[in-house]
Amino acid sequence: MAISLRNLSVDYSLPQGTAHALRGVSLDIEKGELLGLVGESGSGKSTVAFALMGLLANNAKVTSGTATIDGKSFDLTKRNATAALRGRGMAMIFQDPMMSLNPVFTIGTQLCEVLRRRSPGSDRKARVGMAEDALDKVKLSNPRRRMNQYPHELSGGMRQRVVIAMALLSEPALLIADEPTTALDVTVEAQIMREIIGLRDRIGCAVLLITHSLGLVTEYCDRLSVLYAGERLESGTVRQVQRQPGHPYTRMLFDCEVPIDRERQADASENRFTVISGDLPDPRRRPPGCIFNGRCDVSFDDCAVINPGDYPVGNEAEHRARCLRLATP
Amino acid sequence: MTDAISISNAQLRFGETAALDGVSLAIPQGTCFGIVGESGSGKTTLMRAVLGLQKLDQGEIRILGNPLVHSRAALKQRASFIQPIFQDPAASLSPRSRIRTLMNEVGTVLREPHAAMHERLRVILNRLGLPPGVIDKYPHEISGGQARRVAIARALLMKPSILIADEPTAGLDVSVQGDLLNLLQDIRRSDNITLVVISHNLAIVRLIAENAVVMRAGKVVEGGEVGSLFKSPREAYTRELLAAWPGVTQSKPTG
Repeated sequence: MAISLRNLSVDYSLPQGTAHALRGVSLDIEKGELLGLVGESGSGKSTVAFALMGLLANNAKVTSGTATIDGKSFDLTKRNATAALRGRGMAMIFQDPMMSLNPVFTIGTQLCEVLRRRSPGSDRKARVGMAEDALDKVKLSNPRRRMNQYPHELSGGMRQRVVIAMALLSEPALLIADEPTTALDVTVEAQIMREIIGLRDRIGCAVLLITHSLGLVTEYCDRLSVLYAGERLESGTVRQVQRQPGHPYTRMLFDCEVPIDRERQADASENRFTVISGDLPDPRRRPPGCIFNGRCDVSFDDCAVINPGDYPVGNEAEHRARCLRLATP
Repeated sequence: MTDAISISNAQLRFGETAALDGVSLAIPQGTCFGIVGESGSGKTTLMRAVLGLQKLDQGEIRILGNPLVHSRAALKQRASFIQPIFQDPAASLSPRSRIRTLMNEVGTVLREPHAAMHERLRVILNRLGLPPGVIDKYPHEISGGQARRVAIARALLMKPSILIADEPTAGLDVSVQGDLLNLLQDIRRSDNITLVVISHNLAIVRLIAENAVVMRAGKVVEGGEVGSLFKSPREAYTRELLAAWPGVTQSKPTG
């Protein structure tokens, strides 16, 4: 087991009260595996990444949670618990590559910085060579010229490639990619996902892909976890979850996806989009019972009272979902 | 019937780059028209040109048969029948004024009595699923989905016959996105509005638009009726766009 996250709970203190952004979230990622963490805005998926990286805002508090990375255990409730891993054991790709790049330094300087931190003894020439090599590996054209360019001289897709090259150089055990392609075009998105997979294959790291796009997850990930209002509702391999979603929320999310091959019908009423009606529950006061009760289309009386456990779906060992229907058919 | 919007040979350069390079298209009245393409393909520039916010170097734009004139008076007059919904709704709402102030400006422009305008607004808000209290809020107090609805409400309040939506679903969750698109389709039909949807999301354009064009580097690569355009694209670029789309590929379970 390369990476495991156990029972992560995070609170945000807001002027209106305390928001419980995450409640008891656990994840496991094997080495060389791509785990997709899917959720809508407000589900807390970025909070998972920030808690792991130790980048939470000042008003956030980790109330419980341990992370095991490469055999070492970290108590996430402590401030800067994973500081030693940042840049070496863990790397992160943000939605906005400018979050990771300093506008006043050249690409080359920033790539060499990563190497200097990782292996302080190496000489400068070797570092420059490795940095150029990394840019070449992420298929950035003309690496030597890029080394002397500043981030603003590159397009969004090229900047994201530079950030992936940085991750490549730091050889992390865990790579967290938080909506890495949301700001990019579809064709560039496909290229960037290929680079992330290439990086995974090259250094055999575990990848946590945080996204709101089920399409991206089903296309590129090995396993997926579904997050809703701070709770993990389902997890399993992409194939299992796609074939038989264990939680109604997952099924409804799949139904909302518009397939590219869906054709327009002459009858306008046939061209409707599927929606999930209702709103997210108030993160300050968790209602009793199932968190998805109220928006669910198959709920029954017990759903409002009993908080469901994590039940296995079908006979598959790794596929689990938090839905009472699985325990009481 | 005259076309809602017709553009012939639109040319526009920003320095070295050709933002629009000989774009010609016609959008029939009462239809939904899709403009797809990557960032930098000129989709938004084209929209700005149609709204009269951007002068062309060459070429002609006609709206409901009338050539586009660049003057303050013409711009103001045009606002009563062609309305935009900008990509970033928050950017089209002033952070310093309540939504009520924004809506009141519509009344000023239309010279409509305050009470009558608010009565219409009440109906529109209700239809968009916005609580009436939303008009007393500041833009930062509402969610992204709501902000987009407010932008639509403002546009509808002008009683336009043409609505141009630039990336209407960018940044929205799938569940919210569907809701908004259903709403736009309903409004278009009930009010007989010509709807132009600019998007890089090919799947939604395929479903809501009757005709569409694919743009790249300021040129219209290919266009036509969406069914044939997406089923048997003639251009390699259109095929590439379609292939790059990450989709839930496998067949879904039933029930």
